Parts: sequence; structure tokens; C-alpha cells
Amino acid sequence: MNRLWDRGHPGRFWGRGHPARTKDQMNATTTFNPWALTPTDGAAMWQGFLNRMTKLPQVASIAQKVRVGATPAEPVYREDKLRVLRYESDVQKQYRTPLVVVFALVNRPYILDLRPGKSVVAHFVNRGFDVYNVDWGVPADGDRYLGMEDYIEKYMVHIMDAVRDYTGTEQVNILGYCMGGTMSAMFTALHPDIVRNLIMLAAPVDWSTKDSLLSVWTDEKYFDVDRLIEVYGNAPAHYLQSSFLMLKPVSNLIEKYFSFYENMEDEKFLEDFFAMETWLNDNIPVAGEMFRQFVKNCFQRNQLIKGELRVGHRLVNLRNITCPILNLTATNDHLVPCGQSLPFNQAVGSTDRSAINFPAGHIGMAVGSRANRELWPKACDWLAQRSEPV
Amino acid sequence: MNGQDKGTNPMDPFTAFWSDWMAKMPGVNPPASSGTPDVLKQMRQAFFDAMAQYADQFMRSEQFLNATKQAMENALAFRQQIDQFLTQSVRNMQAPARADTDHILIVLRSMEERVLNRLEQLDQRVSELENEKAKSKRVAGKKQ
Repeated sequence: MNRLWDRGHPGRFWGRGHPARTKDQMNATTTFNPWALTPTDGAAMWQGFLNRMTKLPQVASIAQKVRVGATPAEPVYREDKLRVLRYESDVQKQYRTPLVVVFALVNRPYILDLRPGKSVVAHFVNRGFDVYNVDWGVPADGDRYLGMEDYIEKYMVHIMDAVRDYTGTEQVNILGYCMGGTMSAMFTALHPDIVRNLIMLAAPVDWSTKDSLLSVWTDEKYFDVDRLIEVYGNAPAHYLQSSFLMLKPVSNLIEKYFSFYENMEDEKFLEDFFAMETWLNDNIPVAGEMFRQFVKNCFQRNQLIKGELRVGHRLVNLRNITCPILNLTATNDHLVPCGQSLPFNQAVGSTDRSAINFPAGHIGMAVGSRANRELWPKACDWLAQRSEPV
Repeated sequence: MNGQDKGTNPMDPFTAFWSDWMAKMPGVNPPASSGTPDVLKQMRQAFFDAMAQYADQFMRSEQFLNATKQAMENALAFRQQIDQFLTQSVRNMQAPARADTDHILIVLRSMEERVLNRLEQLDQRVSELENEKAKSKRVAGKKQ
């Protein structure tokens, strides 16, 4: 067939005056002709479209059946709206000190135990750790006055006391993810005797850089957080969700659906996709005062890394953290760039400081296949080396 | 493609985005044996990458930030008006409004803080008394 590219340079489709070249010669010059769709290609694409449309009932069935949460868990402690879940397993416990996972307040915590093969919790459970996860619950209107002091000096203290009483241990290990990591760092700085090991996962502590769009958007010149909380009470879930989506609008609003269309016939892809979508759309409001304090004192004034942050009457000094720390950061994190997390290692007073910078995104650190294969076994090894056997 | 320059022609970022995408097109190099869909995917990906880059830069621009600030102020003002109207309507019907429950919550919270502070002080005093008692017992025991 006399294709257009046979006539010469693709920039001049009619190729007047140029000798005709073979397809291999054209490919060798690293050019291509996007207009070279043949009727066969078109028919194949149409057939593919029809195949996918016939699979729609199956897709809907998978969407209905999707379940999140891979590891069975039971609540062992409740206070107000929060619960602490203990993960159950037939694997014998190898280590005495329990691991408490602290997630952010803006989403549900089951992202760390999303599906089989995409569960951070399962890694630690299968290694013999006694793992607990904090489910902060959904703040109601009456919770609008809960601030940093309530979450860190009240709730987190009670949680760690409850876990220590339940397990009969004097200390706990903490794994904090994102904002939960920041809160865990504050807690550890205020109560260093309680924490044996601290793992920070994509947790911001230094907001001096404006790499992340969130840091730009929350600048006090453009964002009046007082007014938002005054009108809404709590930081609304829909507002937070929109903000997160707009951090990567092309990826979240366009590319995702192209990828969905192309993989509609892959059942495993669909199960993972719908599980992820369940979590992404499960945003919850954040207690108003907590949101106000976090934005003002952390994002806008960057008080934590400067040693100026107060929780209640107490000054948070990161130098008080002397336990071993492992700082996990994501190279492609658009939400918490490495520059916001890495300064933690220099700010603490610990002598045993480790960091792993992993090629993944913010959520990919928890649910990515590569992270589950490569990163979490290393994190388990790190914690096992610093844990007391049963 | 810097959206931060003041006085930038609004067409320039778009022109830059389009030029960026077209510049990426020659880099798309399908293997000899691949079909057309791979070529289209690469084209598409190049387009999305350029669009994402443009969107990121636009969302950092003064233009965008001021626009979102204004939009939020308008939304909050509107919401506040609705709240005031609803509060007034509810009060006219002799029913409690959100502001009333907020007031109760604030009162409860202050009370809770006062009570907890007082309990803490009492706990501290009791601890001190117990320590003193234990100390005097030890001293008495040693004397004997």
C-alpha cells in the first residue's frame, strides 16, 4: 500500500521532490506519521470498543462486589468517635512491642490495608508484629472545637496507654502516614519515653519549600482559613477532596478514565481500580480547630521545624525524639515532596536515623505493587532489628 | 513557559504548551513491529504530560491564586447569608438554631476544661501528699 510516509519526510506529506523511503528508513530517523491509520486499524479499534461495551455488566458486578480491607481486625479501644483496631492473624507473634499505625485525619485509614497484595499492615502482621490501626472516625459538627491538643495530648495519649495496657508493654512502635506522621512526630517529641521506634511515611515536617501546590494554595495571602472554619465549622470533605483532585487534574480527571477504558477487560485491574476509587471518594471532614491550627501553625508559619510549635501549653521540640527513626519518602510525591519530609532526620535528637527515598507517589508508597515488593520488606527488617522478641 | 511574569500575554502560556507538545511529537518512536494504537498512546501521553505541566504552572500563577481566593470569598459570603437566613427562619419558628447548639458546645467545652484542670491540680496534690506520707513512714521506720 502506498502509505503517506513512503512519499518522503513526514513534515511534507506529499513528499514532492524527495525520493521515496522504506518504512524501516523512516523509523530509523525517529519520526512517525500520525495520519497513517489504515481501515484495518480502525476496525480493530471499533472491535475493541464493542468488546469493552459488552463487558459492562461484568464491570458493574465487580464494582458492586469490591471490598476494602484485607486483614481481619477487631476494635480494642474506643473513645468518642475514634476506634483502635487490632489486626488478627494466625501468624505467631514474634515481637513484644506493638506497632500502632497513625493515619491522617483527612481520609479513612484502610488505605494501609486496602487489598491482598496491597497491604502495608499485612507485611508487619506476617512478620509477627502485633499491629494496631487508629480509625479517627468522622467528625460531626460538635467536634469543630477539637484542636491539636485534643488529638495529640488527649486522644493519642489515651490510645497509646490503651495499647500498652492491652499488650502489657511499656512502649509502642509508631508508624505515621502523611499528616498522621506529623502528629506522631509531635507526640513522640512530647512523650519520648513511650515510643520505642518511629517510622515516618511521606510525613511533612518542613513547609518552607513551595514545591507542593498545597503549600502555594495555603499561603496566607490567598487562603483565609479562619473564615473557612468560621463559616463551615469543620473543614468540609468535598472541599478537601476537590483540592486533592486538583493537585493533578490531568491525571485524576482525564488519564485515569483512559486507563480504565483500556483495561476494562482485566478483572484484577478492575478490582484494584474500584478499591482505590472507594477510598479516594471516602473523604471525611477535618475537625475545624485542628484544621485551622494545622494550616496556620504548620503550612503558613512552619513552626514545627523551627521549634516554635505549641500543643496546648507545651512546646514541641523535635530534638526530644531520641528513639530510632526511619523516614520513608516518595520521589514522585506531589502531595508531600521529599523536601518537606527529609529535614526530619536532621531535626531529631536520635543517633539511629535512617531514610529510604523510594520511586513512588504519595499513595503508591502504600498500595503500589513495587512498594509492596521492595519497600515494605525492608521496613519490616528495619523494625525487626530494633524490636524485642517475644 | 513561566506563568509568573507580570504582563504576560494570556496566549503565550497556551502557545508554549502547544509548542511543547508538538516538540515532543518527533520523539515518539514506535518500534517497527508495533501497531498504530501504541503510536496513538504515545502521542496521547505526550499531550497529557504537556497539559499537566501547563496546568501545574498555571495553578501556581498569581492569576489563578487570586481567582480562587475571590471565588472562595464569594462562596463563603453566600454560605454565610444562607446560614443567617436559615437561622432567622428557625428562630422565628421558636426552634433552636445551629448557633444555639454552638453556644451550648462552647459552654460545655469550657466547663470540661475547667473541671479537667481542677482534677489535674487535685491529682497533683494527692500525689504530693502520698509522697510525703510515704517519706515520713520511711523516716519513722528508720528511727525504730
